[in-house]
This record gives sequence, C-alpha cells and structure tokens, in this order.
Amino acid sequence: MACRTEAEPSRRPLDALACTSTEECPTAPTGSHSVCMVSDFFYPNMGGVESHIYQLSQCLIERGHKVIIITHAYGNRKGVRYLTNGLKVYYLPLKVMYNQSTATTLFHSLPLLRYIFVRERISIIHAHSSFSAMAHDALFHGKTMGLQTVFTDHSLFGFADVSSVLTNKLLTVSLCDTNHIICVSYTSKENTVLRAALNPEIVSVIPNAVDPTDFTPDPRQRKKDMVTIVVISRLVYRKGTDLLCGIIPELCLKYPDLNFIIGGEGPKRIILEEVRERYQLHDRVRLLGALEHKDVRNVLVQGHIFLNTSLTEAFCMAIVEAASCGLQVVSTRVGGIPEVLPESLIILCEPSVKSLCQGLEKAIAQLKSGELPTPEKIHGVVKTFYTWRNVAERTEKVYDRVIGEAVLSIDQRLDRLMSHCGSVTGCIFALLAVFNILFLIFLRWITPDSLIDVAVDASGPLSSWPLPQCSPRDKMNPHSNEDSET
Amino acid sequence: MCDQPVRNTNEVRWQKVLYKRQPFPDNYVDQRFLEELRKNIYARKYQYWAVVFESSVVIQQLCSVCVFVVIWWYMDEGLLAPLWLFGTGLASSLIGYILFDFIDGGKGRKKSGRTRWADLKSALVFITFTYGFSPVLKTLTESVSTDTIYAMSVFMLLGHLIFFDYGANAAIVSSTLSLNMAIFASVCLASRLPRSLHAFIMVTFAIQIFALWPMLQKKLKACTPRSYVGVTLLFAFSALGGLLSISGVGAVLFALLLVSVSFLCPFYLIRLQLFKENIHGPWDEAEIKEDLSRFLS
Repeated sequence: MACRTEAEPSRRPLDALACTSTEECPTAPTGSHSVCMVSDFFYPNMGGVESHIYQLSQCLIERGHKVIIITHAYGNRKGVRYLTNGLKVYYLPLKVMYNQSTATTLFHSLPLLRYIFVRERISIIHAHSSFSAMAHDALFHGKTMGLQTVFTDHSLFGFADVSSVLTNKLLTVSLCDTNHIICVSYTSKENTVLRAALNPEIVSVIPNAVDPTDFTPDPRQRKKDMVTIVVISRLVYRKGTDLLCGIIPELCLKYPDLNFIIGGEGPKRIILEEVRERYQLHDRVRLLGALEHKDVRNVLVQGHIFLNTSLTEAFCMAIVEAASCGLQVVSTRVGGIPEVLPESLIILCEPSVKSLCQGLEKAIAQLKSGELPTPEKIHGVVKTFYTWRNVAERTEKVYDRVIGEAVLSIDQRLDRLMSHCGSVTGCIFALLAVFNILFLIFLRWITPDSLIDVAVDASGPLSSWPLPQCSPRDKMNPHSNEDSET
Repeated sequence: MCDQPVRNTNEVRWQKVLYKRQPFPDNYVDQRFLEELRKNIYARKYQYWAVVFESSVVIQQLCSVCVFVVIWWYMDEGLLAPLWLFGTGLASSLIGYILFDFIDGGKGRKKSGRTRWADLKSALVFITFTYGFSPVLKTLTESVSTDTIYAMSVFMLLGHLIFFDYGANAAIVSSTLSLNMAIFASVCLASRLPRSLHAFIMVTFAIQIFALWPMLQKKLKACTPRSYVGVTLLFAFSALGGLLSISGVGAVLFALLLVSVSFLCPFYLIRLQLFKENIHGPWDEAEIKEDLSRFLS
C-alpha cells in the first residue's frame, strides 16, 4: 500500500502535529471541515470534472478547510503528491478497467480508503461523477465507517436503453443513503432525482464555474475582413460533429468571407476532413487537433462567433468560456444549456443543420450590422456569472448542513436499502453492506484506528504548509508545485 | 442553503437559470420542478389482431424448423425417397420463383436490376458445387459423436430462430448469422444420412426452406396479406401433421407453442403496455433527424 510506505514526516518539519493517536490531536476549530474528494478523474487526465475538483479544492483550502483528493494511479504517477497550496493528492494503485474508471468489487478498496480516511481524520467524503467506480466505492465505505457523504453528478443520462437502466439502478443504490447530492444545473437535478428516485430537497444545484481572468477578450486577434466561427469540442457523435459537417458546406457556399476554426480531436475528425476535401475548403476550415487547456483562450479570441453543436450537455463550460472571451455564442437547445447564459448572449437553435444555419446567419447579420455588443462589454457581463469562489461558498453551505445531520445507523441503512431500491437489488446490496461492515470490523481488529499514524495536515486550520497565497486563479498546472512523491 | 432565511419568495419568482443569483436556497424545489417531464410520448398503441397478424412471421419460422426436422427424420428412417424430395423441392421452387415476380408485377426485379440469367447461373453453380462436395459433406463429421451432432444442430436451429430478422429493429438481429446457423445445422444433420445423395438433397432443401421461402413470405406479406394468412395456416397445419405422424406428444406441445406465440403473447404484450412508463425530458440526447449523408457522398 502506497500510504504505508510514505516517508512524509522525514521530509516535512514536524511540530506539535506529530501525534500518534486521534485522541491526542488538537481538534479542528468548528466551522472548518476535513473534506476528501474522491474521483477516478483527476490530473493528469483533463476535462470538466478534473478541473472542477481542482478549482473547488483550491477555493475550499482558501476558505480554511482541509482538503485531500483521492484518485487512482496514472501510469508512473502514484503515491502521494502535493499540489498548489498544500493540496494533497493520493494516487492509489488500483487497476483501471475502462475509460479511466477503476474496476470495482466493492470491497478491495476498503483497506486503502479506510486507512486514508482515518489517518487524515476525514469528516466528509465528497465523491464526483457517476461514471467513476471509485467514487461509488468511497461512498459505500464512507457510509460503513459512519462518515458524512456528498456526491456531485456532472452528467446527464437517458432512461430508454438497457445500459442506462442498469447504471440508473446502481446510482439509486449508491445515492439512497447519501447525505446530499450536488448537480451542476437544474436540468441535471431533475435528471438525477428521477434516475436515483431521490427526495429533491437533498439535491442542491451549484453550477460549474469558469475563471474569467483566464478568458479575456482580445479583439486585435480577429481578422478584420473575415467572419470567423470557432468550434472547440471533442469530435464525437455526442458533441454533434455530424451536424457540423452539414453546416460547414452550407454556410461556406453562402458567405465567401467565412472561416471556421475547429479545435479538438476525436473519431469524427475523419468526416470533417472528408467534407473539407470534397468542397475544397482547405484555406477556410482549419482543424487544429487536440488543444491544451492553456491554448483554448488563444484560439477563442481569433473568432467572432462560437458554435456549440452538442446533442446533450449538463452544463457546458465551453460556451461560458467563449462568451467570457467576448464571442457571440450559437448553440443547440439541449440539456442545461438554456440555463447557462441569458438570451442576449446566446442564440439557441434546435439540433438540426437548418436551425443552426439560421442561428449562425442571424449572428453573422448582427455582426455585420454592428449590432453585437463589444467583446469587452460581453466579458464584463459574463465575468460576474460564475466564479469558483462562489461555488466553494455554496458547497461549504452544503458541508455545514451535512455535518449537522445524523449518519444512518446500520439497521436504518439496511432498512433504507431494502425499502428504497426494490426488493431484489435492495436485498443484495443490503447483504453486501453487511459484508462490508464485517470486513471493516476485521480490519479494525487487525490494525486498530489508534495504531494508524495521523498525517501531517498540508491544508486546513492545522496546516503545516506555508500560508496559502490565496490564488485560486492559479492555472491547473500542478507540475510546478509537486514536491513529494513516494 | 436552507439555513439561510428565505426572503422575497413571495415577490420574486424563481427562474430556471444559473447565471442569476436568486434569493432561494440551492436545494429549493419550485412548483415548476419536472414540468418538462413527458411520459410515453413514443409509446405505440397496439391492436390485438394486428399483433396476431405480425406474430405469423414467428409462426412461419417455427414451422420451417419443424418441417425441416420432420423431413430429415423421414429421410434418416428411409421412409422418404431422396429423389422424390428433390423433385418436389424443385417443382415448388419453380412455382415460388414465378410467384415471386408475379405478386408485385416485376417491380422488385426492375429495382434490383437482376436478370433471370443471373438467377439461373447462381442456381446452377450452387447445385453443381453442392453435388460435387456432397461426398465430403457425408464424411465430414464421421469422427464426431452422433449425440454431439444432435446437440449442435439443436443449438444452431435455436440460434437461427433467435437471430432471424422478424422485422424488429434490434441489435441482436442478424439475418446472415441466422442463415449460416441454419445451414450449419443442415450440414450436421445431413452428414448422418445414409448416402451422399441424401446429404446433397438435404442441404438443397435447407437452402430452399431457410433462404428462399422467407423471401417469398416477406413479399406475400407485403403485397397480399390475406393469402399470407392462408399460407401461414396451411403451413402450420402441415407442419403439425408431419410432427403428429412421428410423435403425438411432440405435436401437442408444438401446437401449444404455436397457440401461445400467436394468441397469448400478443394479449400479454398489450396488457403489459399499461405498465409502460417511459420518461422523456430536456436531458435526453437529441436525435439528428436529417439525412446528413448528402454532404459526404
């Protein structure tokens, strides 16, 4: 186990924190929480969930909470790492099964997770993403250990096909005794409440955020005599790349001064290349391939209009980033997108080539007649909408509420499982919960909690880390701050 | 959150937007919650007799398998002369071939652009090759135990029934796989017949009943539904009759199966429709309804 072999105390100066049992340790002042974020998806993987976890953790640390992150090992990156401001990340040596999600047996991760929860004196477990098996494992073990649990759902799911029926059942089991659930949009909340048969009162809506200082407009980068449409998304079916293939020839034939810049990579890139080939648009459609997060802004500012063709989306950070860079946004009306930007900043269309072309033509007409507000003005409006500090503040309120709630006792939990999840599934998982409890008792007998070393806090009120310089705006660039590896 | 005093709830209306800071807690549940939820919008209403009519496709296929096994049994017992079967098969194939063009007035042929000469050629090639290879077919499975052969044939014929294209749009449907399984079963069974002539005729018969007959049925069903019902009934009764001459119990069980597939299952399907609760809402993945291939071809 990685955490056992860790030689942390020898590297960091020890002070009063070098205690050996939980009882002797100074307790954290009230109002501050020890939060453990768990998800399969974290840096070096890149995406919405990853940056959400990172930014939220940074802002929570800034607010005086202790935060650690648990994820699985990525290649050579395993053990414990420290990121900016003493954000401690555990990369656990668990096998990855599919799509960066770990395999789950529901039991094998208990020894490791319990060890971490005890040595870090965790009081709240915050799991992210319903695709992450590790997140569900952590919720399951956390409840067994009597810890408070919070879950954030980042994605939408249908109800029609077999795979979603199965995953929705598992989500019902996983969330039926979770204290609180956070969704990123109202549509996502409706979806999650239906999928997991939840009481809507325990589901909060806290949107994602975008760092407005990362996405500032720069109109000088735009070509004066051209209209440029920017698309940045993974080139996959769900992002509507097929629609894009219809839009490009249609509009390029109509407007000789129109350019497309397309950033992103994916299996559908080939059909974009075919369209470009067939209509001889090599000088007007630029395919940039995969973009790094830091390059996104430099691509966005070259455009006048941002086009999003997604077929499903819980929140859609991309349109907020584009609007923050001062672009006029044209998007499909799907999922949570209508909630994200006010009507003055976005043109919503039906997910069809015809409707999207009409929307783009409207945007082009407004642009040419000079009706559109200046990029600075758009930026000024958008930058007030979503900030990570606000997200952290609202998440903190969820923690405050959760910490005051009683954790279900074993019999209540079994009761809830059996009454809530259907007779067959409920009984199976109640049985598994009992096994989990027995396994925990066994582990406690092998290594009692009092024998587990307490870790040195790197964040939170008892932090031995140099005081944070309060910069949640730091780019997600953990390389510069890594200082320990085990 | 809920511990904050909720102000202005009476004056300010909650909006389903994220960019505004609203004076409501984050876990606030408005009256408009789930108002865009729709149920069963794509659910189909079924008519009992229409479903019974559609179930005839399944009946036909069950009967095909039954007739095939019965014919094989008669051949194996030596009660049916192979040349007689070959003659009848050839004659009915010819009738079917003529009917096939006659039913839709040659429209299908014009559409596919296939000539009669091509049909004749492929028929000749097939018959010659099967005849030439029938001694090989005969000895192909000599080293395999007869029980294994029977078990394999049962599984293959079941597979044929499962993967057959009954007209449903499902991932499991594969007419190629289905036909291949049926032919494999026929080769297995044919190899247990007394002579290589028997094997040749058995495989030819399998092609006729598993490949050609369903094509004709499909056309019959589309163009003349009435005669299709008649043909299905006739076919079902002849299959039952054939089975009865071998085993009474088998015939009764098969008749029960047919009745339940054609009358009980449709009834059950319509009853179960009442319990259907298909949920739709803004979270559904949008479907692209246009044909986008024109931009690529």
